[in-house]
Amino acid sequence: MTAPQSLPRLVPPATTDPSSTDGLRAEVRSFLAEQLGAGAFTPSVDAWLSGWDEAFTAALAARGWLGMTVPTEYGGHGRSFLERFVVTEELLAAGAPVAAHWIADRQIVPSLLKYGTDDQKSHFLPRIVAGECFFGIGMSEPDSGSDLASVRTGAARVDGGWSLTGTKVWTSGAHRAHAFIVLARTAPIDPAHRHAGLSQFIVELRGPGVEIRPIISMNGAHHFNEVILEDVYVPDAMVFGQIGAGWQQVTSELAFERSGPERFLSTFMLLAATAEQMASHRVARSNDLGRLVARIAGLHQMSSAVAGALQRHDPADVPAAVVKVLGTTTEGDIADFADLHADGVGSDLAFVELVSAAVDQRPGFTLRGGTNEVLRGVIARGLGMR
Amino acid sequence: MSATELTAIGVDTAVVDMMNAVFADYRDTHPPAAGIIDRDPTLWRALDDLGLVRLTGAESGGGSGAGWSEAAELLSAAVRHGVRIPLAEHDLLACWLLDATGVPCNAAVRTVSLLDGQGVATAVPWADGAERIVVVWHTADKYRVADVEVSAVEITRGTNMIGEPRDTVIADVSTLPGVPVTAALVAELRLKSALVRAIQVCAALDRIVALSIEHTTSRIQFGRPLAKFQTIQNLISDIAAEAALARSATEAALTAAINSDWSTDRLDFLVAVARSCAGHAASVVVRNAHQVHGAIGTTREHRLHEFTRPALAWRSEFGSVAHWDDQVTDAALQAGAAGLWGVVTG
Repeated sequence: MTAPQSLPRLVPPATTDPSSTDGLRAEVRSFLAEQLGAGAFTPSVDAWLSGWDEAFTAALAARGWLGMTVPTEYGGHGRSFLERFVVTEELLAAGAPVAAHWIADRQIVPSLLKYGTDDQKSHFLPRIVAGECFFGIGMSEPDSGSDLASVRTGAARVDGGWSLTGTKVWTSGAHRAHAFIVLARTAPIDPAHRHAGLSQFIVELRGPGVEIRPIISMNGAHHFNEVILEDVYVPDAMVFGQIGAGWQQVTSELAFERSGPERFLSTFMLLAATAEQMASHRVARSNDLGRLVARIAGLHQMSSAVAGALQRHDPADVPAAVVKVLGTTTEGDIADFADLHADGVGSDLAFVELVSAAVDQRPGFTLRGGTNEVLRGVIARGLGMR
Repeated sequence: MSATELTAIGVDTAVVDMMNAVFADYRDTHPPAAGIIDRDPTLWRALDDLGLVRLTGAESGGGSGAGWSEAAELLSAAVRHGVRIPLAEHDLLACWLLDATGVPCNAAVRTVSLLDGQGVATAVPWADGAERIVVVWHTADKYRVADVEVSAVEITRGTNMIGEPRDTVIADVSTLPGVPVTAALVAELRLKSALVRAIQVCAALDRIVALSIEHTTSRIQFGRPLAKFQTIQNLISDIAAEAALARSATEAALTAAINSDWSTDRLDFLVAVARSCAGHAASVVVRNAHQVHGAIGTTREHRLHEFTRPALAWRSEFGSVAHWDDQVTDAALQAGAAGLWGVVTG
């Protein structure tokens, strides 16, 4: 009898010595301490979605921590993806308000670098680096959530460009951002090739034909919007990538979006605050604290390894799905853990407010950027089960 | 440099293939028996001939001069084939401690026991079947270590859940020779012991995931393989993810240990994290794997138990999962809100 074949590794091994970025981490920590000391921000949970603070974004830009991977010819800093990873980890762990530039910095920069025209790169990249241009995402629609290929927003050919009509939804920050990248149909859906006929367009959010309606979250906060496009003219110069290649463009960049530190650190500052409450005996000691801290430490190690793979341009969609399933579940478990321990009398008010905010944000953790149910399917495919 | 292929932790894959082959051959002719497992002297000799018994010993002392990376691959290979043999106890723990304290170490098979104030050590791995025992105890203000014949101590047989010797050792330390050993070395012994079990648990979890995929892709129910049901895919995706997290955490601790020659003050935290992640992963992995295997997975006949029961047994040795959670909790409480992230990242 022979042993069954070993499986290939689901997540790549770490290849970078963590101490190589100690200096950069220290720099960011001292910057954050200064900002906190000056009262420039109040740490909050889920601050990459809810912490919109353009002054803070400007301060980061001044330090060279926006668009870090953008080449210097486009006004950027030519830093490595791992260096960007370290800076964002530090900012998220501190609960710093990074929502204003988050989408532009995380998603639009690598996409522009890969698919943008020279004119698009010259126009947008320097502004993103300077913290002056914010983006949204135009993928989901009222009838297209997990099933993204079913989008119905249409782009019709017109003189010198395209005319877009349709409705996008869950566009965070659309009421404040400058532009978003819209996924639209440029050819009717072919049931045999559902992923064909999709294209991407850069659409100005303040232009004619664009209507932005707030979607108010259950706790009254306003992050999300519905964006209605009615005959919105997009010039050829703002076609993003290739007409018809929208699906491939969208999916090729998912690993950047799914494996990052925002997938396990959305509630880290609450975990830290809970440790503080326990240390000062305002809430009862529980070893679940250690269990959750250990998971976060393991996720930090795993996410760093995936960042290394992305830096090497290795395919990373399956390991990214692993990070996201485990990480978003854990950041939600942290919210619940704090909620189980917080008591309105013994705990201080600021802590109780943090817990409430986390509990309200929690359902979104395992939905946004691909639901965990979809991602388990990605993992199963990686394991050869489907 | 030749075009050598390396494993994730930097070991020549040809070496790992050789390790796998030895254990696969052995397993083919030695199906697991119920009851107490004895150390097989024939296998021990075969491993010794291949230089795998004193793998990390200095070549000048008859060892193979390899490191913890190779040792981790060796332990994993044994686990992968369901072969139980005290390689870690002998090489990485007992003989290492003798070398580190300057006590001569011959070819005798050894384990190590850490006595309490009454001269008792419980759950000592593989004392039964060892030829000599490295005994560590605490006197008024310092630790001492002695390398003694098994006849110099009293051994009461015991086993863990899978039948591996876990014995009680009682010694009259006043009669033992012994040389001083630093508290730092004793702390290192504890960390090494703990990390050995994390490495073994990870190897077992990976095999459980592989067996679960193998079973569900071949077993047909309702006219199609179980693996085609989304609910089965979800159960297995989750255990694959948990096993991967345990591995990330364990490799992070192992790498930090190797790179610092076990000197970094981060190791206490990293080993505790590895043991916590591996321990909790075992809960989910064992549960879901049994669920997807159905009743056949609960039988002696099916191989699943060769990996699930050890994973559960080993996660509780050299410290329970709760103990390691407790250690991480202590670290978090000491760090407080301002210091917690620094503890996580180092």
